[in-house]
Amino acid sequence: MANMIMASSKALITASSFPTASTTKPRKAALFDFNLTLPAIMAEFLLLMFALDKIYFTPLGKFMDERDAAIKEKLNSVKDTSGEVKQLEEQAAAIMKAARAEISAALNQMKKETTFEVEQKLAEGRKKVEAELAEALANLEKQKEETIKSLDSQIAALSDEIVKKVLPI
Amino acid sequence: MNVLPCSINTLKGLYDISGVEVGQHFYWQIGGFQVHAQVLITSWVVIAILLGSATIAVRNPQTIPTAGQNFFEYVLEFIRDLSKTQIGEEYGPWVPFIGTMFLFIFVSNWSGALLPWKIIELPHGELAAPTNDINTTVALALPTSVAYFYAGLSKKGLGYFAKYIQPTPILLPINILEDFTKPLSLSFRLFGNILADELVVVVLVSLVPSVVPIPVMFLGLFTSGIQALIFATLAAAYIGESMEGHH
Repeated sequence: MANMIMASSKALITASSFPTASTTKPRKAALFDFNLTLPAIMAEFLLLMFALDKIYFTPLGKFMDERDAAIKEKLNSVKDTSGEVKQLEEQAAAIMKAARAEISAALNQMKKETTFEVEQKLAEGRKKVEAELAEALANLEKQKEETIKSLDSQIAALSDEIVKKVLPI
Repeated sequence: MNVLPCSINTLKGLYDISGVEVGQHFYWQIGGFQVHAQVLITSWVVIAILLGSATIAVRNPQTIPTAGQNFFEYVLEFIRDLSKTQIGEEYGPWVPFIGTMFLFIFVSNWSGALLPWKIIELPHGELAAPTNDINTTVALALPTSVAYFYAGLSKKGLGYFAKYIQPTPILLPINILEDFTKPLSLSFRLFGNILADELVVVVLVSLVPSVVPIPVMFLGLFTSGIQALIFATLAAAYIGESMEGHH
């Protein structure tokens, strides 16, 4: 179709001897013009394929695959260590319990000892105090009796005086 | 469209302003053969872009990727996922093939749409996406055919040819025909899409003021990306189909 149009227009133009638009002689339009270009492009494509494979597909592909494998491995290893972590946690809890038991036992022991000592001291102190109290009481009694005795003698004298003074002679 | 009743002036005017150089190629002579130099030049640029950006981004890979490395990792994962979906568990060796197919077509298509090729003026023809040439698309479709044959033969040996009479021997001619239509459809689908999109954009740009072609350009970006994906997916699907286990 394009050929027809161009051919007829060319014929009319040259027939009327108008100057043509292009300076070079237009060749017959060739849309299905197979020539050496075909194998040339085929060769170029194959070379491009090998070059691109060596530069891009293989290196980057390998890099991406390695990265994926590394990430997967890391994920798996994380899952494994969580079991270990649980074990360690249990051990730690057991140790803590044992330690706490020890501490409370020691504490109780210490408490017992100290209370015993304290009670001992208290008892001692009490005894001392009681002894001193008894002593003091005894002293007091003695003093009381002494004062009463002295008072008695004084009372007799006093009462004599009083009688003398009161009864008129 | 009946052109003969149009006047000479209209036709010449259209020819002058259209500037659409369909089917005009820039020829180089190599030995006794010709090549479309514009296709070779643009394909070299595409290859340079691919190799350059890959080298720079993947240098010194970090465990926590930088932006460039992250993008290329995303692309690689996308390609691996595509291959795995289509081919199955043994997708590993095919990733470079499918990946290069996808990246080459994608960058070619987008380079044709995005890079300002018009700045460089060729004596004949113009620079555009390398995939707008039938040579390129066939050059990509033929290795795909070879690849799925190779996949089937290397996995099943000569038992691969049993698939031609499955599910029923009546379908033998159709199965044989498939071996021709597969590369044909791959190449023509890509060629047609890219060339047609370029033509639409160029014609719109030459006929209509500047803002109007922009939605068509976006559509072109989208469809050309999809075409790259389709080509790669179909290639992987054909390979997977050949390697499929026994029914």
